[in-house]
Amino acid sequence: MKKNTLIGLAALGALSMAGVASANDAVCGLDNGQVATGAPIKVGGIYGNAAPGDFSAAVDAAKAYFKCVNENGGIHGRPIQYLVENDQWNPELAAQAAAKLVNDEAVVAMVGNSSFVEMSVNAPMYSANGVMAMASGCAASECFESPNIVSTNQGPLPSSVGAAMYAVEELGATNVSCIGMAIPSVGNWSCGAVQGYMESKGLNGSFVLLNPAAPDVNSALLEAMASGADSILVNLPAGLGIAFLNAAEEQDLGAAYSWTSSTPLYDTSVPRALGDYWNGKLFVSAELTTIDGTGPDNQNWLNVMDAYAEANDPRDTFAQSGYLSAKYFVKTLNAMAPSEVDDRAAVTEAIQSIKGYTSDLMCGPYYVGKAERHMPNHAGIIVEIRDEAFHVVRDCFEYEGPYFQPILEAEKALGLR
Amino acid sequence: MPITQSAKAGLAFALLAFVLLPVLAGGQWVKIFISTGCFILAASGVAFMYARLGMVSLGQVALMGVGGWVMLRMNHAFELPFEINLAVAGAVTLMFGWLLAMPALKMRGLYLALITLMAAGGLEVIFSTFRFPNGGEGFWGVMPSVAAPFRRPFLVSDDTDYLRYIIAAIVAGFLIIELHMRSAPGRAWAMIRRSEAAAYASGVNVVYYKAWAFGLAGFLAGVSGGLLAGGLGLLDPATFRASESIMLFALMIVGGSRGWLGVVIAAALYRVVPALFNDWSIDADISLIIFGAALLHAITTAPNGLSGQLTDLFTKEVKRT
Amino acid sequence: MANRTLTLLMTAAMMLGVCAFLAWGKPPKVVGLFVVSGMAVGSLYALGGIGLVVLYRATGVLNLSNGAIGALGVMCAWQLQQWQVPEVATWFIGIALTTLLALVYGRLIAPGLAWRDPVVKAVATLGFALIVLGVTAFAWEDDVRKFALPSDKVAYTLLGMRITLTRLIVILAAIAIVVAVWLYLSKTRTGLNMRALADNRDISALIGVPIVKTETIAWGISGLIAGFTGLMFGDLVRLEPFVITFMVIPAISAAICGQLRNLGVVLIAGLCIGVIESMMTLSPVLKSIRPIAPFVIAILVLVWVQRGRTNYFAGN
Repeated sequence: MKKNTLIGLAALGALSMAGVASANDAVCGLDNGQVATGAPIKVGGIYGNAAPGDFSAAVDAAKAYFKCVNENGGIHGRPIQYLVENDQWNPELAAQAAAKLVNDEAVVAMVGNSSFVEMSVNAPMYSANGVMAMASGCAASECFESPNIVSTNQGPLPSSVGAAMYAVEELGATNVSCIGMAIPSVGNWSCGAVQGYMESKGLNGSFVLLNPAAPDVNSALLEAMASGADSILVNLPAGLGIAFLNAAEEQDLGAAYSWTSSTPLYDTSVPRALGDYWNGKLFVSAELTTIDGTGPDNQNWLNVMDAYAEANDPRDTFAQSGYLSAKYFVKTLNAMAPSEVDDRAAVTEAIQSIKGYTSDLMCGPYYVGKAERHMPNHAGIIVEIRDEAFHVVRDCFEYEGPYFQPILEAEKALGLR
Repeated sequence: MPITQSAKAGLAFALLAFVLLPVLAGGQWVKIFISTGCFILAASGVAFMYARLGMVSLGQVALMGVGGWVMLRMNHAFELPFEINLAVAGAVTLMFGWLLAMPALKMRGLYLALITLMAAGGLEVIFSTFRFPNGGEGFWGVMPSVAAPFRRPFLVSDDTDYLRYIIAAIVAGFLIIELHMRSAPGRAWAMIRRSEAAAYASGVNVVYYKAWAFGLAGFLAGVSGGLLAGGLGLLDPATFRASESIMLFALMIVGGSRGWLGVVIAAALYRVVPALFNDWSIDADISLIIFGAALLHAITTAPNGLSGQLTDLFTKEVKRT
Repeated sequence: MANRTLTLLMTAAMMLGVCAFLAWGKPPKVVGLFVVSGMAVGSLYALGGIGLVVLYRATGVLNLSNGAIGALGVMCAWQLQQWQVPEVATWFIGIALTTLLALVYGRLIAPGLAWRDPVVKAVATLGFALIVLGVTAFAWEDDVRKFALPSDKVAYTLLGMRITLTRLIVILAAIAIVVAVWLYLSKTRTGLNMRALADNRDISALIGVPIVKTETIAWGISGLIAGFTGLMFGDLVRLEPFVITFMVIPAISAAICGQLRNLGVVLIAGLCIGVIESMMTLSPVLKSIRPIAPFVIAILVLVWVQRGRTNYFAGN
């Protein structure tokens, strides 16, 4: 009996040891297979999940990465405690969430933020409290033009300019009509940059703004037609974008104009929702590499998700973006002195010193710097919708236009080009 | 001036809240209570119109938006102190209330409610198109980047002081309403509620006093909107949708339209409970279901609202002892 | 009668005047496009408004949950189509589900509130709307979807604008419902009972109107219309539960123009609201606030209709 018990216990012991040196291919953090112990390092994240959209993918991916890190040496051996709040697209809840995380929980940084409401409300608060937000799901100007927020994703402005560039260079467009949301920090801001790019090329550009809640997208379509455009750039969130393209399909305009879109339409459910009419007619500017990309970091992202995320967590662009933010955060903290990782000011300083992190997920290098605005991701790819799937038609290219001038100059000063 | 039991209880509650709440609540909960406080003030406007005059206003939150807009514009345009900006916000919204009253005065019941709903819908479109001022140029004052700073009242240095400031403002608001009740307007309103024909026959200027009620409700909405703007330093159009105005009215019915307790319950249901659900990570959709069910249940079983049920319970207990 | 005709004429004249002002100086082809596009959207407002007024005339309840139950119906229809159920069956099931939900509310909850004032009854339907909306949003996670009908593939050109058969169906259905309901309410016994019920429930009960049966039929008809409306909104607007649910607010503006009573006026008002909203795109100043059209029009109509009314003696 005793011998059997001993053998049983030994077997159990062997099994649990095998569990620690887990049989997955995910590489994260210090990658030493040791479970992190000790006082946790508190990190915060705010996302939006309520109607009309669920942006929780970024935070789920960051959570998965942090879990992986906690089983692979943590940060200097200490685990990360990732505190996540949902702001339900409500500005008051966003402010309350930030107060809880920054003031009550005293997090050292925010990682994976993906709520455009949260950015505009909390940007001043982050500056006042000296905390950096390494965001993953930015979609409004406040996110890209504030000193304490930096994102791994592109948002509407760069991806719209990229789509316009493709329209001009490959589709022969001379007059682009940019359809955007009637929100100054989203539609006016991004479509305005498209217009700036077109004018810098000596061509014409105009924009049409849609009220997000309006049931009628027809008149916006008619306005675009009346502007004399020969190419239409859809710069709307996925649901509205599909409604607009449905209206265009109803008018049988697929051949009359060339069609491009900014990044929200790069989503796996979009080709099926659009149907065969748009086969080969729509070109989407994607902000990171494709989901099925073969690069090593993309494969690692998929491995991390498979090993540490829930089965129904989406594997989409936001998830890639959240993974990147989390990875860069961990890399930065592991490069710091172990005694300083609890000090918010030191962490902020370290994050601001990030320079030239690369990954096959992002077309250009990631950097932060001490500046009033941050937009490290301004190069992307173009995909075409064909046969109910996306196909890459143009690989990584840099975006041009007057908006990016100051950014390029800042990068030269940092020695990145 | 006699002080009723309810008033004594209310003042005691306010004093308790003033002293203890900012001390006990952490950073997150102070913000939640600031928000709740602003909506208590706004809900009191809806409540007194419904209880004393039988008039339904489904546009109070939209009027808060007007007050908030004026507050922010004044703050970014001039260097005047907080209180003056607040007074201007209240005055402008009071005039908006009168503007609303003009067509609404000839209607009652459902039509009155519907016209206020249409006004709320219209204001929702204006807010979502033109956004709220954040320090930019021009009349609309919007710039596509981070908001310029907002100046809080002189005495207030942080959120806990601001919460106290708001509690004081709420008590002041309730006292203003009470003052109205005990003087000419209150008497006129009571008579109008009983019978408009009799009021007219006794020489009461019905139109004038009804407009006064709209104006007072507008003033309270404007001040609460201004205080809400001060809470965050900026405002977002999503807070002032037409559906939010309907929700506030609905919760006011659930809480009870008579007295201070009903209004406090209404604002608590409107802001504290959703924040609590979010804190407990209850899915936003599930909280919607819970809310709808609670709303339906309260309306069907409690005609005097939850505050009515609570006070009945309390008086029954008192009578028993 | 003369007064009603005068009101109708004045309203029509006002609408035409506004349209002419907006269209001034623009090429007629372009104007034609916007007019037709506006009528396409306006027919949706009209359909929503008709559904509201039909129930209001029969039961005195302004049902704010019409959009929500329609949304649940169309989401179920979509889901069944994903599971390869034949299309026609999914439409019937969707509409049947909506009717069932309307009946559940009408038979179980509404009678308990019959004695409350109309606004409270409307607010109670809001509670029901939140429950249904919460269930729908919870059951289907946020994703882009498309609900298509076979009539989407057939199109006609009107004034240079292509209109799918679906949009024509909406207008034709709206007209058909108006005519059918008018005939029903004025020519049949049950219709008479419904009008009596809406006017005064207690007295109707006293004189022997079969309350339960009449209310059941009224809510059932309302549910059928709401189900059909939900399918149309899902196809022509977007398949998003929140958007479909809150279409009830512009639908109320169309209902208000008909004074919650006259279905024909609701239909015409809905179309006019759509046209004016669409034509506002032609004005560089007004185009950014064109969703405000339903609300401004509703307020103006209400003010116009109530002019000259004294404040004081009874009646709504």
